[in-house]
Amino acid sequence: MFVYEKQMQYPIKIKRTNPQLAKLIISQYGGPDGELGASLRYLSQRYTMPVKELKATLTDIGVEELNHLEMIGTIVYQLTKDLSQEEIKKAGFDAYFVDHTTGVYPSSAAGVPFTAAYIQSKGDPITDLHEDMAAEQKARTTYDNILRFCDDYDVKDPIRFLRAREIVHYQRFGENLRILTDKLDSKNYYQFNPSFDKKCFKKCK
Amino acid sequence: MTQREIMLKKIGMYKFALKDIALYLDTHPHDEMMLRKYDEYESILKPLVEDFEEKYGPLTVSVRNKNRFLWINNPWPWENEEDA
Repeated sequence: MFVYEKQMQYPIKIKRTNPQLAKLIISQYGGPDGELGASLRYLSQRYTMPVKELKATLTDIGVEELNHLEMIGTIVYQLTKDLSQEEIKKAGFDAYFVDHTTGVYPSSAAGVPFTAAYIQSKGDPITDLHEDMAAEQKARTTYDNILRFCDDYDVKDPIRFLRAREIVHYQRFGENLRILTDKLDSKNYYQFNPSFDKKCFKKCK
Repeated sequence: MTQREIMLKKIGMYKFALKDIALYLDTHPHDEMMLRKYDEYESILKPLVEDFEEKYGPLTVSVRNKNRFLWINNPWPWENEEDA
């Protein structure tokens, strides 16, 4: 069950609009390594996880990604608020504006709409955890790339927070991979799918 | 920053610390020091939230004022206080 808290995970208060920057940052809303994909990936993968630590981590990180989705939506919203038609045209925001006005729509920086093809739920925890660790690093690189185009502290500050969270999540997923393999036969971790072939767990389970 | 924003930032700080500790505890469920830290921060957070909600309205859906549903009031988290 989910309960909404009427508060941003990290405060965002942008004083200067910048539709050019919004066009780039929206990629972390609905792009290939964005927060929408992240939350759906973890919240979908968790059902078949065979170990309690993994279920907890995927649930908690999946929920945190929804906070981050809200943060990115807020940054895009505040960067495109109260724009004049001239500003929209000058910033090259007109193509987005034609389809969405200033509504926040999940798409990549190149305008590709969000697709579930960005994520995988493979039903094998070793495979899924590797995908999750890669996903955190891909998101971290995307934030690094976004930071190259940020010259406004009001935007940089929350983006840096989000970048740091990718690294923490990567660390937690790495620990989960170790917790899982510790319970398996070290002679060949990949002989079985730990979600499907239950017999692969050592007797100490 | 307005008084409301200052209070909200402090609440957010403790909520975040709790979130991050919980994530750590997911993979270190026997770490007694962190379990104590979680408890400590939670007890600091509780009166801060009560104080805030008393002054500015609910952070999670609830009805304290019996005349009006204050939950719908601006600002929402994506809005600046001045615009709302």
